[in-house]
Amino acid sequence: MAYEPVLTKHINEPNSYTLDFYMKNQRGYEGLRKALTVTPNDIIEQVKTSGLRGRGGAGFPTGLKWQFVLKDTPKARYICCNADESEPGTFKDHVLMERNPHLLIEGCAISCYAIGAKVAYIYIRGEFYHVQEILEAEIEKAYTAGYLGKNIFGSGFDCDVYIHRGAGAYEAGEETALIESLEGKRAQPRLKPPFPAVAGLYQCPTAVNNVETLCNVPLIVLNGAEWFAKLGPEKNGGPKLYCISGHVKKPGVYEASMHTTLRELIYDHAGGVLGDRPLKAIIPGGSSVPLLTPDQLDIPASFDGVQKAGSLLGSAGLIVLDDTVCMVWLAMNLLHFYRHESCGKCTPCREGCDWLYKILQRLERGEGRSKDLDLLFGVSNNIVGKTLCAFGDAAATPVLSTMKLFRAEYEAHVREGRCTLPAAWRAKQPLFAGAH
Amino acid sequence: METVTLTIDGLQVTVEKGQSVLQAAIEAGISVPYYCYHPGIGVDGSCRVCVVKIEKMPKLQTSCSMACTDGMVVSTRDPEVVEARAGVFEFLLVNHPLDCPVCDKGGECPLQDFSYTFGPADSRMDFPRRVFDGEGVRADVDFGPTLMLNRNRCILCTRCVRFMREVDGDAQINIVDRGYGSEIATFSEEGVHSLMSGNLMDVCPVGAITTRDYRFKSRPWDNPNVVDTTCTLCSKGCSTSAWLKAKPEWAKGSQLIRITPRFNPDVNSYWMCDIGRFNYHWIEGDARLRRPMQRRGTALEASTWHEVEPRLRDAVQAAGSPDPASVRFLVSAHASTEELFVLKQLVEGLRGAGGLTSIAVAWTRTAKNQPAGTRFTIPATDAPNVNGARDLGYRVGAGNEGLPDLEDLRTAIEGGRVKALYVLDPGPEGSIGDVSWIVAARQSGTLPLLVVQGVLMTDLCAGADFVLPGAAFVEKDAIYTNDQGRVQAASRAIAPPGEAREDWQILVNVAAALGLSLAYSSSDDIRRALATAMPGSAYAQAGQITFTRPVPAKSWLQSSNPSERWKWDFMFQDLPPVKGHNVQTEDMGREGAYIPLRAVE
Ligand SMILES: Cc1cc2nc3c(=O)[nH]c(=O)nc-3n(C[C@H](O)[C@H](O)[C@H](O)COP(=O)(O)O)c2cc1C
Ligand code: SF4
Ligand code: SF4
Ligand code: FES
Repeated sequence: MAYEPVLTKHINEPNSYTLDFYMKNQRGYEGLRKALTVTPNDIIEQVKTSGLRGRGGAGFPTGLKWQFVLKDTPKARYICCNADESEPGTFKDHVLMERNPHLLIEGCAISCYAIGAKVAYIYIRGEFYHVQEILEAEIEKAYTAGYLGKNIFGSGFDCDVYIHRGAGAYEAGEETALIESLEGKRAQPRLKPPFPAVAGLYQCPTAVNNVETLCNVPLIVLNGAEWFAKLGPEKNGGPKLYCISGHVKKPGVYEASMHTTLRELIYDHAGGVLGDRPLKAIIPGGSSVPLLTPDQLDIPASFDGVQKAGSLLGSAGLIVLDDTVCMVWLAMNLLHFYRHESCGKCTPCREGCDWLYKILQRLERGEGRSKDLDLLFGVSNNIVGKTLCAFGDAAATPVLSTMKLFRAEYEAHVREGRCTLPAAWRAKQPLFAGAH
Repeated sequence: METVTLTIDGLQVTVEKGQSVLQAAIEAGISVPYYCYHPGIGVDGSCRVCVVKIEKMPKLQTSCSMACTDGMVVSTRDPEVVEARAGVFEFLLVNHPLDCPVCDKGGECPLQDFSYTFGPADSRMDFPRRVFDGEGVRADVDFGPTLMLNRNRCILCTRCVRFMREVDGDAQINIVDRGYGSEIATFSEEGVHSLMSGNLMDVCPVGAITTRDYRFKSRPWDNPNVVDTTCTLCSKGCSTSAWLKAKPEWAKGSQLIRITPRFNPDVNSYWMCDIGRFNYHWIEGDARLRRPMQRRGTALEASTWHEVEPRLRDAVQAAGSPDPASVRFLVSAHASTEELFVLKQLVEGLRGAGGLTSIAVAWTRTAKNQPAGTRFTIPATDAPNVNGARDLGYRVGAGNEGLPDLEDLRTAIEGGRVKALYVLDPGPEGSIGDVSWIVAARQSGTLPLLVVQGVLMTDLCAGADFVLPGAAFVEKDAIYTNDQGRVQAASRAIAPPGEAREDWQILVNVAAALGLSLAYSSSDDIRRALATAMPGSAYAQAGQITFTRPVPAKSWLQSSNPSERWKWDFMFQDLPPVKGHNVQTEDMGREGAYIPLRAVE
């Protein structure tokens, strides 16, 4: 089962980020040249046929998203590249932008052409400072070489790519919050409808796409939609980047097809569990998705495969948890994040995340009462489905999922007044000692 | 009008296309709670209490953001809705201080009201509550010259933020920090500086924003009487409500306890400016004229109407008989149309058809400092009835936009050609403009006789020979014509103090003393005469104008949320005035089944 990487093949070679390298080794900007010879609609059709699904979390078909972008309007249209990558356990876009930036730049240009936009904004996570510097320098080179700017390849197509640096909010990755932030406002989501495809950036039709999603576009144009679709299972075509972290021997970003099983990812790619300890659970798609257990390792790590197993592929951030991880601590750890990152716009998420965190803290301190378990469950359920954006569901998931799978651990915390896991000390480094 | 028909709780509702499910429910009298929604500000969808279940939709939806469509089937009482809603209410209160007994909003608080109705009976929250600036009195912090802010009570509905951004036009308020730490703030903690600031108390659904003017002054159940009236402090003429404190006559303090805006889509929407809202203290202030007065030597002495009227006649006759043209009038554009109509008849009776030339009309203009993008402009003209005066033929220049022309009168007075001046000045202090030159002329003797019919002991009154106490705008039923040419009614809310009388009555009596019989026995009579005199004009219907009387709030809910009172009246008209009842188990009388509020054993 030899899979040859297409997105990350060269990332470990020196100067892989340069334009020269890209031109020599990756058929640089040929996709764009080819795209400009067909109609925008042809591109959308190709992307639809390829089955490309959004890599940002929701797995929504990209071609369809572009098709929804309102074309019958005098308004400008925009591509917003979501490079906010802040989901815990997710670090793939970072690698692409740092080591293969021209693939993204080319992807932005083709996508602009497809939806009739002239401008793409790359909304980059505030902390990716050095990545921004690389991207900026490479965009400059693309302009000089005539791959961006006016009248690209003499086709009459103009395209500008700008970088906008975020100020460090996870919520800014939610597509409408991203748009608000781009407009200079607080990164808080908008009510939908209207969807960005109708009224997005500056109330103009907009497509928000993840970095990895856009990086796939030149490949589809160059190699064909069928090639792309055949790389993976049905409806789960193309290359996929997996971010494997947690208790594995070789954490990192791995490219594979979505035929690959979770077991292969953890044991073959990432070298197995650290210290060969027993595996306790996996979070397959970034911190916002339900946990899977070791008996589910043989499912394909595809959008549909993971969903069938009761979780979500999300951003493909695989967090591997060995038997030393206390699940109450895990939930508290994640809720510390969500409580801190909730934008505060809507009531259930703003009040609920903080409340959940406080209850989990109490359990961790050994002061939990048995009614706290019902309370956790009740408060979580009062968040799920009642919030303005998907953040609320995401925040309640770690609690609901750990409680569902590991309720005994919660009960033990209440009963014993402490964590009963033998090696729980490891997870209890004073990570949040001063945090409140 | 394009309409759509949908079903809400089994009830068929037809509404204008584009209306939200929440608006449709409210109009149908179905109670759905809401906080971030306010009919005068854009939809936000953030508080989440307005959730409803809509058939064929997988998740509960916020009704404020959901447009009605034909055939939509909505439930506001499905168990799923009831539970979800209760959950949101629990969240809203987990960090709320629950200091209702000392909170100014208590008793008219949508958070209180809706929580009782839709929230859970108790809370599972047992952690210390979030505290921003301090607890107790320390929680109240300055929020600009007119307001106070209590962040602990804030539920972050952002109505205030959006009001400033969308209506005021200067986004002075925003939220700083995020998530559980979010708090309302102004730049550099400067507070709100705006002529629209008072509206923030109305839009705030909790006691977080209060006005310095009203806070700690009364409780809603102590001022249940409300009169729907019209503000007369500028030419806009906002519809307002005057709130009356129920107190025995002998008790100290004023009756008029606050003025709030009343919805009027044509004039002021849900808003009013701070000038009209806060400038009412003079009405029951110490400077009010309560008795007629006349000059004896250097002093003004209190007198009675009975005594003053014949003396006034003698004085005017003595001064004016050699040359009737030497009797002149100065009237403030705060005078109502009825008063102007009677005054006109009075001078025409004395001087014939050209009589109006002996009357000058005065008002002031002040540029209001407002942001360029405001949706509520306060006109520069500070008087309510310049247009009314013009309609009656008074000389007021071309438009509502001009300045009064008093040059002619001034030259005549200063040249000694005026032997008697009668001033009608029923507005607040200074509203007639600079009249120091009149005071000076009277003092020097250039003007031998000065009669002032007014409401406050101003310098002008102090220099007068006769002072006749009239009524302020909330003390009389009267009409005024605003800058749009709209004839508006301002209702009487309280009685004039002491022996002060409604101004039309004083004018009729003065006319009688001068030998002119104007047979009006009520202001209604005058409006009927006005209508007859001006057929085919905006005044043709003046005889039918109705004035409101103090309305006792029928239920505790009716006095809630002043800026939306009209709507609340709608929503809660069938509900008994009992707290703690539960709408979920309450029969609305439509489906036939009667469920008693308490189960009977
Ligand atoms: C709370 C929250 C955070 C998100 N963060 C990101 C992010 O960091 N990067 C990203 O690509 N998508 C993120 N998303 C998903 C985006 O809303 C959006 O679905 C995605 O950018 C669409 O791109 P795609 O169709 O290419 O996946 C986030 C969503 C939510 C609700
Ligand atoms: S769910 Fe959370 S992050 Fe999303 S809008 Fe509500 S408060 Fe903001
Ligand atoms: S201060 Fe009042 S109006 Fe403003 S957000 Fe808070 S509760 Fe809402
Ligand atoms: S009123 Fe609908 S969400 Fe606030």
